[in-house]
Amino acid sequence: MKKIFKILKILLTVLFTSYSIFVILFLFFSDKEKRYDFASHLQGDYLSQSMFEILKLQNPQNDEIYFEQSVPYNKRGFYKEGFQLLNKAVELKPKMHLGYRGYMKLRFLRDFKGALKDFNRLDSLTPNFVDSPWGEDIDFLMGEAYFGLEKYDKAITHFGKSIENQGEGWVDIQAFVYTGLSEYKLGNFDEAKIQFEKALSQSKYTVEAHLGLAKIYLETGDLTKGKLHLDKAEKYFSYKRNDPYNEYLNEVYESDIVTLRSSGT
Amino acid sequence: MISFLFALSITAWGYYQATHRIGELEANDRIDDNDFELCNEDKVAEYYGMNTDYIGGKKAIKNRILSELQFLDFKESGLLTYRFVVNCKGEIGRFRLKATNKDLQKTEVNSKNILEIEKELRALKNWNPAINKSGYTYDSYYVLNFKIENSKIVDIF
Repeated sequence: MKKIFKILKILLTVLFTSYSIFVILFLFFSDKEKRYDFASHLQGDYLSQSMFEILKLQNPQNDEIYFEQSVPYNKRGFYKEGFQLLNKAVELKPKMHLGYRGYMKLRFLRDFKGALKDFNRLDSLTPNFVDSPWGEDIDFLMGEAYFGLEKYDKAITHFGKSIENQGEGWVDIQAFVYTGLSEYKLGNFDEAKIQFEKALSQSKYTVEAHLGLAKIYLETGDLTKGKLHLDKAEKYFSYKRNDPYNEYLNEVYESDIVTLRSSGT
Repeated sequence: MISFLFALSITAWGYYQATHRIGELEANDRIDDNDFELCNEDKVAEYYGMNTDYIGGKKAIKNRILSELQFLDFKESGLLTYRFVVNCKGEIGRFRLKATNKDLQKTEVNSKNILEIEKELRALKNWNPAINKSGYTYDSYYVLNFKIENSKIVDIF
């Protein structure tokens, strides 16, 4: 009996020790790429963050780890922590991360000046190359930042560059919408209408352009056209531009249609 | 015995790490409304991907409370970032604030201003809770930023 207990004790010791060694090997010594993917997949979990901490200790110069670790912090409103990590990624590989940081400053913080600073620095590091921070044209994003700063002339210039660089058929339709909105803000109603019409020529579902036109027509007394575009905005409302993380600067709501409708009756 | 305790410690650590996430807000009787309850403490989603929102969007929040908060003065420009829970019934609570300056470093906000902002937040009643494709509603976290410039709140998003 005593012998059985002794064997059992040895077996359990081997089992528990093997288990512990396996966990430690995985956490500290398994393939770095696999551990990075594991941590990325569990985005936001403490386990993911601990894995990133281990990876940073072992690879302090790997920018991707800092970048990936920053993501859940920024998504969840912990900007101090998120941007500390993102700043480190930028420090290690500016060309790779400046665009994303600028995008985050623009969309998550509405820090328009900070975003422009990053976009301009990125632009200077990549001469003769049109950058696409986080998949969006850099001039589109710069236009959006200037729009946020209410510098509408500069916004128009950058949206124009975006349209020129990407081509009318390929550019983000919202470049026309933002240009129209900027022209409207400057009091250039005719040019604004041209831009909104351009957006609609690319897609009749552009709710923001219908609303932009409705507003101008109602303000200039053309109630028939104003109502027509309000009806279309209502009809195509489900196609409006939105984002699960943030509200766009030119985001439209059903309340905008209601407000305009009541102003035109 | 040592190998058992070591394995147990690793398992407990792993379990804790795998079941906790950045930004979890635990109830705090000292500061939270006593009548605010979550439908499921163990399953609180994030706002993104689950369509948690205020009816009319952040624009409606801004339209409703920005003007009400213009009498408040702040010492430093930056962001006040509120994270709170929208429960499965569309009620809100567990407000937690992170205040940062323009360099995103932690900054202090006087308690009177915090009370005034939270009073306005608590008055917001038209919430759409997180919802799945089957129409089942969930508790979820929400993030709302107040941008401070030249001593005043200039934007809510």
